[in-house]
Amino acid sequence: MLEQGKISPVQMALLMIPAIIATVLLLVPSITAKHAHHDLWLSPIWACGTGFFVVFLSYKLNKLFPEKTIIEYSEHALGKILGKLVGGIFLFFYFHATGIMVREYGEFVSGAALFHTPMAVIIGTMVLVCSFAVLGGLEVMGRASEIIVPVVILLYILLFILLIKDLEVKNLFPIMEKGIRPSLMGSIVPQSWYSEFILVSFLLPYVTNQKKGFKWGLIAVFIVLFLMVLTNIMALLLFGNLTSSLTYPVMVAARYISIADFLEHLESIVMAIWIAGTFIKITVFYYVLALGTAQWLKLSDYRPIVLPIGFLILLQGLWAARDLQELSHFLATSGAIYILSIQVVLPFILLLCASIRKKLGQRKGNKQNETPVNH
Amino acid sequence: MVLVEQQTILSKDRLSIHLHDNVKKLESIYADCADIKFRYFLIGNESKAVLIYVDGMSNVEEIDNNLLTPLMRLELEKEPDIHALIENTLTVSNIKEIQTYDDVVSEVSSGNPIILIDHQSKGISAGIPKWEKRSLQEPTTETVVRGPRDGFIETLSTNIVLLRRKIRSPKLKIKSLQIGRYSQTQVVIMYIEGIADQTLIEEVQNRLNRIDIDGILESGYIEEFIKDHPYSPFPLMLDTERPDIAAASLLEGNVVILTDGTPFALIAPTTFYSLLQSPEDYYEGFIIGTLIRWLRYVFLLVALLLPSVYVAILTYHQEMIPTTLLISVAKSREQIPFPALVEALIMEVSFEALREAGIRLPKNIGSAVSIVGALVIGQAAVSAGLVSAPMVMAVAITGIASFLIPRYSASIVLRILRFPIMFLAGTLGLVGIMLALLTIIVHMCTLRSFGVPYLQPLAPIRNSELKDSIIRAPWWSFKKRPHWTDDYNKVRQPNGQQPSPLKGKE
Repeated sequence: MLEQGKISPVQMALLMIPAIIATVLLLVPSITAKHAHHDLWLSPIWACGTGFFVVFLSYKLNKLFPEKTIIEYSEHALGKILGKLVGGIFLFFYFHATGIMVREYGEFVSGAALFHTPMAVIIGTMVLVCSFAVLGGLEVMGRASEIIVPVVILLYILLFILLIKDLEVKNLFPIMEKGIRPSLMGSIVPQSWYSEFILVSFLLPYVTNQKKGFKWGLIAVFIVLFLMVLTNIMALLLFGNLTSSLTYPVMVAARYISIADFLEHLESIVMAIWIAGTFIKITVFYYVLALGTAQWLKLSDYRPIVLPIGFLILLQGLWAARDLQELSHFLATSGAIYILSIQVVLPFILLLCASIRKKLGQRKGNKQNETPVNH
Repeated sequence: MVLVEQQTILSKDRLSIHLHDNVKKLESIYADCADIKFRYFLIGNESKAVLIYVDGMSNVEEIDNNLLTPLMRLELEKEPDIHALIENTLTVSNIKEIQTYDDVVSEVSSGNPIILIDHQSKGISAGIPKWEKRSLQEPTTETVVRGPRDGFIETLSTNIVLLRRKIRSPKLKIKSLQIGRYSQTQVVIMYIEGIADQTLIEEVQNRLNRIDIDGILESGYIEEFIKDHPYSPFPLMLDTERPDIAAASLLEGNVVILTDGTPFALIAPTTFYSLLQSPEDYYEGFIIGTLIRWLRYVFLLVALLLPSVYVAILTYHQEMIPTTLLISVAKSREQIPFPALVEALIMEVSFEALREAGIRLPKNIGSAVSIVGALVIGQAAVSAGLVSAPMVMAVAITGIASFLIPRYSASIVLRILRFPIMFLAGTLGLVGIMLALLTIIVHMCTLRSFGVPYLQPLAPIRNSELKDSIIRAPWWSFKKRPHWTDDYNKVRQPNGQQPSPLKGKE
């Protein structure tokens, strides 16, 4: 195996939570608000089914092919050529997704703090820091997430608590004024974030206890759901129908905080904790990309290709979109279908093919040996 | 190379039966060693013998009374037999026979006088070394208000006694080895059998055996040779002058390495949190212990980040400062010709210089330097318009914060890391500080000390050990030992020792 390290189920969950939630906090409230209006807090609840389904898919696939990642077993499930093709599609997808992610980070930082710093420097420094973690391996990433993620989540909830006095509860009503349709429409985009839980299928082979890993995967979906609803409710109660016209509602929300004329303008703090969350997110994707590529090319170690891939991610980040508007538009429209089809439909097809193959193989085996093969 | 081989062959030789040959060889080995004394005498007026010792390393009084007097007054009937001499004549408790030149040399250089007798192929070594040593003092680098006041000294045997007196069980094991081709420094590994992990002990031994150096003068030499990550600035072993810390670590399954000639013991493995603990956390109540720990954790961040945060906020995020404060800061910075980063660098570097000067100077001049420093850094620099008053405050608080870290080796790391973070803060603002912090966290997550993750028990999380790192739980609640590996002696003390009024009725 390329990865010698093992992580605990809790570490896996702690890696997955920021891997989903980090970019959600920025863009999702306004994107969902475009369709769901003041029902935007319902959308993540409808969408979370995708998350559970995808974690279930990864667990089932892992049971069929223990100790293998999706890149490795797609060959077993679909045959050599088709399998390589599917692996390639996954890798190109993650390459693209990581590029988009770094660009989101770059756009956010340059829009919120470093107005004059070149984009390449902002993205490059982040990718460099992430590459240290990826070079350290999965164990290091797991441990780093144990230090970073609890702090990030606590500070985020603290932000919410500090905002309580500015919240207008009546913005919530009327719930489902136009029926369930708008909130369902709004749930399509969050679904694409939930579908990123397919990353679990890359991590599960290296988790000490797969069954607990499945349980903690589901818990991670719950925590993501909680944080998404919290974010959307916060945006809604604070801005009402204005939410859809803001780019970064959470960032604007932080500006509302003013306690005793001293605790104010905390957007830099928000930025700091958000950077920490994004760091984990990029690291997880970067790691999956590096490990997957090494497995796809049947290399003996993934570490030598980490830095070259980092450079490609930097280029991809610069090339991904012209500006934030284009990026946000892509994510809100065709991006959702693109992401969902690769992260949900493709693994589902994989699982179908694999189980059919297995059934056939078993029947063949039975006919040959006249004894059932126990697996 | 050939010469060295010849020497080793020579010294591995057994002693000759003729005293004449032995003396000749030893005199050639000890040529130009003015401190080695050869004292020729006759046993019972007949048998020729020689006493060899290092001047000032052996107890001369005992040599006179217990070696020379009985031997010279002996009435001989036949050839003196070594065995009989040891059993009947020599009134020294620690005594042994030696057979090779190698033995002679090593015994003599550890302060044991040697007696060689004509027509005998063996010699006698008497364990009566004595040399000047420092008396036990309170370690100045690790002072406590409440707690034992003795500290290790430069003499290995005394240090072992200090530990043996704290842990009297025969399970306390001591393994000795020599490191250093010329210094031949004695190094001992101490551990408690049944608590310390066997593989850990073997690993420590293997790493120590691999060292090939001409001399060991301080445990720092050893530390650099056996560190898991040689290029990391973080200390991966705990060094202490206090026997109570060493004893406490032994009880938690660690291995203590004592080196002759230095009061600093090495403790392995260690975690980052042990570097932030003072022995007093455990001696005073657990509530104050916990609070002081938190204070330390906060000031750890202050010592690392304060100047950088100041620079970042002044350069990039002025909106974070409350308006009234912003005005006064702006007023004080009006005269300053430098950007905040340069200002901070000037102050920090001169503070580091002052601190270093304060350590090296004789104590009576040291106070003068600190007055001059306070004037130069504080008063004069501000009134001369070189730095602003808030900057002086930031540097001062950083300085105090770095003194709050109880281990010098840990506070050195903060001093090193402060400067790159300041540069990042000056170029990328808070983003730079975050990137620096993330890099440090990732680096610390990669570190291991003898296989133990450096940030354990927080990363990876070990629930049962959190109560001795995040907080300091009461003593009666430490029911399990911290464990470095899976296979360990779990139970530290039985349940139900919490004191309560109900206990009186038992």
